[in-house]
Amino acid sequence: MSDHIAKESSATGASSGPAANPAASHGSASAESGDLGAPLYVAWQVTNECNLACLHCIEESGPGKAFRDELDRDQIFNVLAQFVEHEIPYLSFSGGEPMVHPLFFEMVEYVCSRDGQLKVETNGHFLTPENCERLARAGVKAVQVSLDGATRGTFNRMRIRGDFDRATDGTRNLHKAGVPIEINYSPTSFNVHEIGTAIDLAYELGAYSFYTGRTMYTGNAVKAWHKLALSDEQYATFFETLHRKTEEYRGRMRVHFHEMGLLEELRYRLHHPAALLIVLPNGLVKLINALPFICGDLRRQSLAEIWGNFQQAWQDPRVAAFIDDLAANPDKTSSLHQWVYV
Amino acid sequence: MRLSKYVKFREEKFGAVLFETRSEKVFTLNSVATAVVREINGGCDEGEIVVRLKDRFEADEDTIEREARAFIADLRTRGLVQD
Repeated sequence: MSDHIAKESSATGASSGPAANPAASHGSASAESGDLGAPLYVAWQVTNECNLACLHCIEESGPGKAFRDELDRDQIFNVLAQFVEHEIPYLSFSGGEPMVHPLFFEMVEYVCSRDGQLKVETNGHFLTPENCERLARAGVKAVQVSLDGATRGTFNRMRIRGDFDRATDGTRNLHKAGVPIEINYSPTSFNVHEIGTAIDLAYELGAYSFYTGRTMYTGNAVKAWHKLALSDEQYATFFETLHRKTEEYRGRMRVHFHEMGLLEELRYRLHHPAALLIVLPNGLVKLINALPFICGDLRRQSLAEIWGNFQQAWQDPRVAAFIDDLAANPDKTSSLHQWVYV
Repeated sequence: MRLSKYVKFREEKFGAVLFETRSEKVFTLNSVATAVVREINGGCDEGEIVVRLKDRFEADEDTIEREARAFIADLRTRGLVQD
C-alpha cells in the first residue's frame, strides 16, 4: 500500500477556460485518460451569445452570435443529467457569456444541488449583488472573471462594449457574497505592461487564483492580430514578472500560468489526451479547444459513447497531421472553427 | 473525518481518483487506498477504518494498520480530508 497515491498531477493545467484566449492547457489526469470511465472535467460553452465583442475572443462570440442550433431546455437538462450520472467531478460553464443564457441559473442550481463542482467563467458584467448572492447560495466552486488589464484604458480597449468598473465592481460583489474568485488575463501588446498591477488588483479583489498564458491566434484575434501580437521580448518580460509574482503571492493567491507554446502542448496531448471534453453550445464535443476536431454530438450520442470515441479520435491521422502542419504554418489556428469530424 | 469541500472521489476500474478542484490536482488511488477513502466517505473514523481494512484484506495486520494510518496522515497533510 506504500504507493497508495500512485501519482499526483494537474488535472486541468493552466485552465483559462474555453472562452478565454490564453492558450489553455487542460492537462491530463494522473492515470491516463484512457484508463478512466468518464471525463474528469467538462468545459461547456453554454452559448455563443455575448454582450461584449472582445478583440481576442477565441469563440468569435458577441451580440447576436448565438448559434442557431444551440441546445434547447430538454437537451440541456438531458446532458446535465448525464454529467451527474457519470459523476463528472468538475464542470465549467463558459461562452460567449454564460450569464446571458436564459437558463443559466437553473443550470447552475441543477449542478450544484447534485453535488457538482461548478466553475462559471464570465466577463463579470452581470455580477450584481443579487446575482452574486444567488451564486453563493447555489454553492458554485468558483467564478472566474476575465480582467485583461489593470486600468479602464486597456480593459475597455480589449473588451469592446465592456466596462472595467462594472467588471471590477462585479468581482467585489462576488467577494462580498463569499464566492471564490479566479481572475483570467489575456496578454496583448497594449496590456502586457500591466501584468504586475493586474495581479495585485486580482489579490485586492479577493481572488484566490490568477490564470494567464499566451494569447492564441484564432477567432477574433486573427482580425485584430496587428493590435494584439506580443513580441518575444514582451513575452519574456511577461513571464519574468509572472515568476516574480508567483513567489510574492505564494500562500496567499495562486498565480498560474503556462509558458509552453501551443505546438508543444498539442504534441504532448497527442500522446496524453486530457480527461477533458469541450462541449460547444450546440452539443458538439471537441477533442481540445485548440484543434478543430469534433469527436461527438450530445444531441445524438450519449456521453458514454462519446467518451468511448474520444481516445480513438485522438489517434485519427488527421489530428497528428494538423499538429505537424501547425509547426510549419502557425497561422493554421485561424481555421479552428472549420470543424472536422473524427 | 470527511473529504474536504473541494475534493471529489470517483471509483474507477483500477481503483479511484481524488480530484482536488481548487488546485486542479488529481490523485490516482490503488484498490486499498480506494477502500480507505470509501470508508472515509461512509463516515468512519480512523480507528474504524483500520478495523474494517484488517477484516477485508488478507495481509499482516500490523502492516495494514501502519500503512492505513500513514495514508490517512498523507491525506490530511495534503488537505484532502478534514476532521
